[in-house]
Amino acid sequence: MKHIKTLNTRNLKDTLKKGGCGECQTSCQSACKTSCTVGNQSCENNN
Amino acid sequence: MIHQYKSNGYNIVLDVNSGMIHVVDDVVYDIIGLYENNSKEDIVTTILKKYSSTTEAEILEAIGEIEGLKNDGALFTEDIYENHAGDFKNRSTVVKALCLHIAHDCNFACKYCFAEEGEYKGDRSLMSYEVGKKALDFLIKSSGNRHNLEVDFFGGEPLMNFQVVKDLVKYGREQEQIHNKKFRFTLTTNGLLLNDDIIEFANKEMSNIVLSIDGRKEINDQMRPLSNKKGTGSYDYIVPKFVKVAESRNQTNYYVRGTFTHHNLDFSEDVLHLADLGFKQISVEPVVSLPEEEYSITEEDIPVICAEYDKLAKKMIERKKEGKDFNFFHFMIDLSGGPCVYKRMSGCGSGTEYLAVTPWGDLYPCHQFVGSTEYLLGNVDDGIVNSNVQEQFKCCNLYTKDKCKSCFAKFYCSGGCAANSYKFHGDINDTYDIGCELQRKRVECAIMIKAAQAEME
Repeated sequence: MKHIKTLNTRNLKDTLKKGGCGECQTSCQSACKTSCTVGNQSCENNN
Repeated sequence: MIHQYKSNGYNIVLDVNSGMIHVVDDVVYDIIGLYENNSKEDIVTTILKKYSSTTEAEILEAIGEIEGLKNDGALFTEDIYENHAGDFKNRSTVVKALCLHIAHDCNFACKYCFAEEGEYKGDRSLMSYEVGKKALDFLIKSSGNRHNLEVDFFGGEPLMNFQVVKDLVKYGREQEQIHNKKFRFTLTTNGLLLNDDIIEFANKEMSNIVLSIDGRKEINDQMRPLSNKKGTGSYDYIVPKFVKVAESRNQTNYYVRGTFTHHNLDFSEDVLHLADLGFKQISVEPVVSLPEEEYSITEEDIPVICAEYDKLAKKMIERKKEGKDFNFFHFMIDLSGGPCVYKRMSGCGSGTEYLAVTPWGDLYPCHQFVGSTEYLLGNVDDGIVNSNVQEQFKCCNLYTKDKCKSCFAKFYCSGGCAANSYKFHGDINDTYDIGCELQRKRVECAIMIKAAQAEME
């Protein structure tokens, strides 16, 4: 496209199908302990 | 739902419900602002007036690109997730993470500590091996089919009870084999008691280690004195040890983690100071405290802090170009491999998947609720006995919070921290408003950095 550059992003809608396995890290176990930082966690769904 | 903003020369459009992010030129940026409430003819007229050098053909071409993204489900998408959020109420929950309060005692006297020098509104106390063992057994028993289990050794200062940490790790490793589980142990420490033996142990057993330091010496020492009578500053004691930890872990799987307050609104200097010390994994976060504390972040501080986040974001891009890059935890965002929408709706899992355990074995929804007895969930002997409290947390999600519904950042913070909401409103289904303002700014900065990185590639 000439006017728009889309960043390499996973469409959230696609994660409805196989999401919710719960194997990902709990956000407060990483560094924060005082905020909610879900957006920077990584998906660990291996299926 | 669209959020569009300009930052550091980039025109950024976030399609909130798909999470897709577009970097656009000026003409498209304006068209997107007009698109939903204007006819194509009106858009052409308006844009031609504003941009004299553009042509009708170019405007129609831009509209065509926008329509293409809309048809692909990447722009102007609807929120289709709310019905799925209702499923949360009926889901069966498992416990997958524990915050073990190994020591309700501390050798520091940090002025902003929510644990009140480690005591959490109670007496000084150390967790026994027996209690810790029961906590790990409870976790294994309550974890269903989940393979990865997380245990954070927290305090107070957990190294004041290090033998129990070591013994529990040994016990956990034995149980992994028996139950086909994987423990990810983590440690949060102020660093004073770190020595070579502990560092060696931590490097072998801890998948992450959080090292508490606020930044510049004068800033750190003002808020993080030792708990001795003189209130000696801690900086000189901990920095050499933290440098050693970071290097011995090859600059990965750790964070130096600080808190900024009303007293250091120029906190980007603290972040850069930590980077200049050689640290590559840095987290410096706003203090969360009630307005009566003189160090609390106020509403008037918000624009100052937002400008500081902008300054830090630009500085990080500069440093990346110079080959001196570092990670800043609150600007980290995983666009291509981030969490699924279920996780983004349900939040941190406090009170359901994630629990805190006191030294004497009581269970609370998270470390920040410890000591608030109305939120006592049960104990390591009997498990969860207060199902009413657990039910409250189970039902709490993005869509139970009115303020979140119209917020563009909702799928990044997933409704925010329940403990912060409770602290400011006495209700876990509200939000901590200052925190929300800062979160929105951080999401904007994080996305802008991604846009800049994409340009560099």
